[in-house]
Parts: sequence; structure tokens; C-alpha cells
Amino acid sequence: MAADITLAAPIGTASQPSSFAEFWASFRENKGAVAGLVVLSLIVFVAIFADVLAPHSPLEQFRDAVKLPPAWYEGGNWAFPLGTDALGRDMLSRIMHGARYSLFIGLSVMAVSIVCGVALGLLAAFAGGWIDSAISRVMDLIVAIPSLVLAILIIAILQNPSLEKTIAAVTIVSLPRYVRLVRASALSEMGKDYVIAAKVAGVGSLRLMLRTVLPNCLAPVIVQAALGVSDAILEAAALGFLGLGAQPPTPEWGAMVGDGREFIRSEPWIVTLPGLAILVTVISINLFGDGLRDALDPKLKRS
Amino acid sequence: MHTQRILTLAGAGLAALLLSATTLNAKTFVYCSEGSPENFTPALNTTGTSFDAARPVYSQLVQFVRGTTEVTADLADKWDVSEDGKVITFHLRKGVKWHSGVNGFTPTRDFNADDVLFSFNRQWKPDHPYAKISGGKYDYFSDMDMPKLLASIEKKDDYTVVFTLTQPDAPILSNLAMDFATIQSAEYADFLMKKGAPEQFDQIPVGTGPFQFVTYQKDAVIRFKANPTYYAGKPAIDDLVYAITPDPTSRLAKLKTGECSYIFGPRPQDLEEIKKDKNLTLLSQPGLNIAYWAFNTKKPPFDKKEVRQAFNMAIDKEAIIKEVYNGAGQPAKNLIPPTIWSYNDKVKDYPHDPEKAKAMLKAAGVTTPLEIDLWYMPVQRPYNPNAKRIAEIMQSDLSKIGVNAKLVTYEWGEYRKRAQNGEHMTAQLGWTGDNGDPDNFFFLRNCASAREGGQNITRWCNKEFDDRFNKAQQTTDVKTRTKLYEEMQVIEKEDAPDFPIAHSIVYDAERANVVGYKMSPLGAHVFYGVDMK
Repeated sequence: MAADITLAAPIGTASQPSSFAEFWASFRENKGAVAGLVVLSLIVFVAIFADVLAPHSPLEQFRDAVKLPPAWYEGGNWAFPLGTDALGRDMLSRIMHGARYSLFIGLSVMAVSIVCGVALGLLAAFAGGWIDSAISRVMDLIVAIPSLVLAILIIAILQNPSLEKTIAAVTIVSLPRYVRLVRASALSEMGKDYVIAAKVAGVGSLRLMLRTVLPNCLAPVIVQAALGVSDAILEAAALGFLGLGAQPPTPEWGAMVGDGREFIRSEPWIVTLPGLAILVTVISINLFGDGLRDALDPKLKRS
Repeated sequence: MHTQRILTLAGAGLAALLLSATTLNAKTFVYCSEGSPENFTPALNTTGTSFDAARPVYSQLVQFVRGTTEVTADLADKWDVSEDGKVITFHLRKGVKWHSGVNGFTPTRDFNADDVLFSFNRQWKPDHPYAKISGGKYDYFSDMDMPKLLASIEKKDDYTVVFTLTQPDAPILSNLAMDFATIQSAEYADFLMKKGAPEQFDQIPVGTGPFQFVTYQKDAVIRFKANPTYYAGKPAIDDLVYAITPDPTSRLAKLKTGECSYIFGPRPQDLEEIKKDKNLTLLSQPGLNIAYWAFNTKKPPFDKKEVRQAFNMAIDKEAIIKEVYNGAGQPAKNLIPPTIWSYNDKVKDYPHDPEKAKAMLKAAGVTTPLEIDLWYMPVQRPYNPNAKRIAEIMQSDLSKIGVNAKLVTYEWGEYRKRAQNGEHMTAQLGWTGDNGDPDNFFFLRNCASAREGGQNITRWCNKEFDDRFNKAQQTTDVKTRTKLYEEMQVIEKEDAPDFPIAHSIVYDAERANVVGYKMSPLGAHVFYGVDMK
């Protein structure tokens, strides 16, 4: 998240003094984006305080209360508001803790991809020549393989699936988008007068990269990052569903859906509730990301 | 055009009516099976589906008493075993008739020793004229080490056959009651060879069994009719039909409407519905299997007996039965299921006692938290409906005694290979028996199988256990063997190389008017001896 903090400031200095106020004014015009932000904040809140908010431990198996339906159905019990799963674990607690894993995966994938993507993209743009070709072709290669297939392949190579390996696989798969974005905008910025002026003034290339060019490439990267979080969550959930993500008993949403799919006809809440959680989270992030794009992209602003 | 169609329809309807009228007099028994057989020669096959399809037609030298795993006379009405156990002389039943009129074949002689020689030599001798027909792979014959075990099979006279073995082998009789040892007609084989169509031998079966083959349509139906000359008496039902119905839901629907008299394996979630229906009867039988959790005794701390015992006490077996088997299983305390002779019911299972388990771990010098790995199969097995869920229950129970279990799995083939190489600390696995002899289970814990790549994935090699195992294999006296096996179960329980999980229960369902059906613990479907009210 360190990236966010450094990046907001330069844009501000580049345009007008109250740029955040301007951004906010533009952002809140978009009702969907605000709704997304509200829901997302709620999910983040639940994830952070899951230990306090969850009624039970997500791992405790209540052997006398197996496959209880949500409390408002017949046979439900208010001790388990959303029912229990096949091993008698509280669904609500598992979903609350699951938010942690999903957000953690989403944010770490985003952070790592931003750092690596920006570094590789700038390097490709500035170095040019064979370094540029090498980086670009490797990224082309990654894009050429369907992302989920590639992620499965990476996990298979790394063996013994785990949460960390999921993050690594999803990061590699999503890297090309960042690299290409940064490289393209850096290249277009480099031809502009202010960069040439800086060069003439004798600015060192590292400073040129990080202080002069980078801040001006960041707006699209931020938008990509926001939308990338939801992609990362979805891909991690798909891996979890296939049993290649977080290992039991981790209450990861994708894994919960995967384990519960045999109950879809008899005890549907075991599989639908975590699925719903993924859906709501991804939609809210996407709405928020769209709003962010509209507010940050000058071309899309109202004329 | 229109009237003509109506006429045809009416004609068809009338014909159907007439047909059903005739079948009303004859007793037709419809078994709704789960799939099509590959062919009708059991020696070529390995699946229960194919064995079931061929069974009505054939007999073996010896057979399992219906509904048990006890061996009794079939085509051999008696047999003698030599003093050293290496020579078995079978005295064949006289006057057993081969089915007549199938595929244009009329037998000129009764069943005799030539047929026995034909049936075994085909599987044994690569230069046998029929050895290469229909693929020529005899999996069971080779997997049971028959080529190594057999020294010779000789015909003494038309009704005496002598099997000579390279070493005494007590389970041999049970092995010969298995489907791969089915006796087929040498004369029919010659007849087809002359006709130039030897492959028909495995498609259109001629046997000595209670039912005679009529027709087979792949993925649709197999028809048999009663054999009036069957040596044990004509079956009570006249026509036996296998209606091939792969979908369990439609099988149940057909059973309800009376289209089927008997169905294979209903879904667990339909069991309640069948129980409630007064026209239907739910049959269940403990399967001849075991699901177990093996401790790798070569890896510390599982080299210590106390640790293994503590692990046995830590797990809530009842919870596994209830939540994973949905009650369709019984908790296991021995390696063999209670349906097998020599099951030692006096063996006491370890109680579920986490407190004591914790204390025992401490006494054994194990420092907690202890990190172990726990392997689970990636696929459903007949003995284990969901190994992952069992692993999760174990993981939760183990955490209460300070053990952190990491769940591990691999692709199924890889899983078996790695487990047999002993890469695991603890791993779930299981076994389904195929002849009902305890030997067929206990070899899973003997020293020979504890080798690298062997099936004893506990790597447990206990001399007392192994000596008894070998002794039991080489004596044919059932009493002596029973005693040895009973002692072995006590030794195994005390040394606890594994945690026996469960023996699963197998379900079938029938119409309430079916009488006399007995479920086979071996998973076989046998319709001789069945009648309809």
C-alpha cells in the first residue's frame, strides 16, 4: 500500500492545489462507485476485525450441529446465523475470516504487481534495445497462455499448493498488464518537452525515471490496480475451488465453494453463501475501480 | 397414410399386450444394472459390472456360499489336499450339461476335465490357441501370482484334475472361487475355432450355470433364460433380464414403477425415500473393505508405539462415521471387516480420549506442537467417500492434542506411488477384498509388503505378526488359521501401526415381492435362488 501514498501527492502538485477535493467531487457524482466504496469499506472492516466480530472460531467443528441451515429457516439456530457446513463449522465466522484471505490475496497481488510491473516497465522503456525486447517478449508469452491455465501450471511446478503460492501464481499471471501499461505510458511521456528539458538540465537517469516520468504515468496504473484486485480475488478463488489454493482448514471462499459443491441440491447454503461473498466483493471493487477511473482520467471527465 | 399408422400402432399395442400376457405367466426378473460388460469372459475383465453380467451363465470349480465368503462345492463336488498342501485333487461333478442351442452350438458331451484344463491353460500358457483372443490380458491371473504358484494342472481322468503348486497356499481355494477361475467349454471353443470366429467365444457365452444366454444389446439389455438342466435345479425365475441403466435416479424411478425388480446402488440421498416406500425394500451389507490411516513407522515419532496409540485415541471415529459416511459405514477396529471369518470381535478399540492421548504423547517424549503431514486421497473410493473431509476432522482433533497436521494430496496414481515409496508421515488409504480370505487383507501389514514400493505403507514389520501370517498361508486347516489370524489382530491392535477408520456399507434396493435375494459381501450380484411372489 506504500505505493498509493507516494503516488497521490505528485499528481496533486502537478495539477491544482485541491486535487483531492476535485477528485472526490468527481468521484461522488458516480452513485455506483460510492456504493461500491461503502460496501468495500464494510468488507474491509469485517476482515480487519474478524476475530472480534465472528461469533465462533472459523475452525471449530461443532459435531452436534452439522449442516444446520441459516437461522431463519426451519431447523436453524441463532447461534449459527448463516448455518454450519458439512463439518459443523459456523458459516458466518468462516465467511468473515474468508474476507481476510481474499482481500489479503487481492492486495498483495496488487502491491507486488505494481512494484514489479513499474520496475520492469520503466526499465523496458528507458533501456530499450534487447532489454526492452526481452521483457516485452516474456510478457507476450505470459499473455499468450490463458491466465487460469498458466496459474495452475505454476502451482503444479511449485508443488504443494498454499496461500503464498497462490499469490505468486496470480501475480505472475497479472504482471504483463502492469508492465505493458507502464512501458507504454513511459514511452509516450519520454517524448514530451518537459522530459527533454529535464534531460538537457542534466538530470540523472534514475531520477529522470522515478521523479520525472513515473508520477505522470501513475493515473492509469492506479485504475488498473483497483480493477486488478478483483481479478486477483477471482483467480485465487478459482484456484481454491480446484483445490490448488489455500489448503484446509483455511476458510478461503473459493475452497469453501469447491468443498461444498456436492451439497448444492441438499444443503445449498454451504456452497451459495461463500459464492455470494465473492460476488459482492468483486462487484464492489469493480464499481469502485470504475469510479476511480472516471475521476482520474481527464479524457473521460465531463467537458 | 394416417389410418395405416393407426393400424400399425394398434397392431403393435396388441402384440405388446400379448407379449406381456405371456410374460405374466413366466416369471421375469429384471435387474437394473449400472453399466455394460466389456465381454462375457471374466478372466479377461477386472470390473464388477462385467463379472455380474457373466455370472448367471457360468460355474467355477468351487464357489462362494451365497451371501457369504465361505467356499463350497460347485463343479468340483469334492477335493483332497495333500499332506504338504502342495497337491490339490479336484473330483468333478458328473452329468453337468452345457447350455445347448446358443450361437448354433449343440454340446455332444457333458462337462469334464478338458474344460477345466482349457479354462486355466488359456490364461496360463502363452502358446494356447485361445491365449491371444480378445486382447489376451489376464489381469487377475497374473496379479494373484498364479503363474508363479502353479507347477502343473493335470487331468488324471475325465473327472479328476490335479493342481500341483510350487508352495503350499491356503487361500488357493478362495482364489479359485473368484470370477477369473470360471470354467468355460473347450468343445464350444473348438467349434468356434473351426467356424473361424474364435472372438465370439467371449461375446456369446456358453456355460453350465443356472441361466442360459439369450441376447445382448450394448448399453440396453442382456437377456438370459432359466437353464432347466442346471445341476442344482432349475432356477425359480424363468427369465432374467439385465436392463442397463447407468443413471441412479432413473434406476430408482424404474424400480418404483415396477420396471425393475432389483436395482444397483441407489444414491445415499435416496435411501430415506426407499425406506419409506412400502413397495420397496432397501438392502444393505457391510462392504468387504477397510479404510485406514497408516502411520509411517520408519519416520519418528511414529517409530514409537506409544505415539501411534496416542494418535488412535485422539481421533473421534464416531464423528467420521456420522459426518463423512452419513451412517453408511461402521467404525473399524480390525484390518478385516466383521464379515470375514477369523474376525476377532474380542479386540478392543482404543477409546476416544484426547486427554490421555496428550499425556501419552508427553510420556513418549514428544514435544508439542508437533508438526506432521497427513495425506488424503484425491478421489472417492468405495471404502472412503471423502478422504479430504476425514482429514479435516482428524486435523481438528489432532490440534486438540497439540499436533499440527498439514494436509497433503497428489494426483491418485502419484499418491499411491509416493505412499508406497514411504514418503508420507501419515496417509489414508484402504483396501477392498476380492475373495474373502483374511490373507487377502493381512498381506497389507506383513514384512514382505513393507519393502520400498510395497503395499504395506505403514512400513511396519513385526516378527510375531509376520511369522503367524506365513504360517497361516501355508496351512489349510481353517481352525489353525483362524487362531493365527485372531492373534494377529491382537498384535496389530497393540502395536497400532494404523488407525482403522471404517468398513463402508453397500446399498441395493428391490421390489417388496422379491424373495430370497442375498447380498454378497464381495459385491457380486447372484440371482440364482431368487424368487418372486
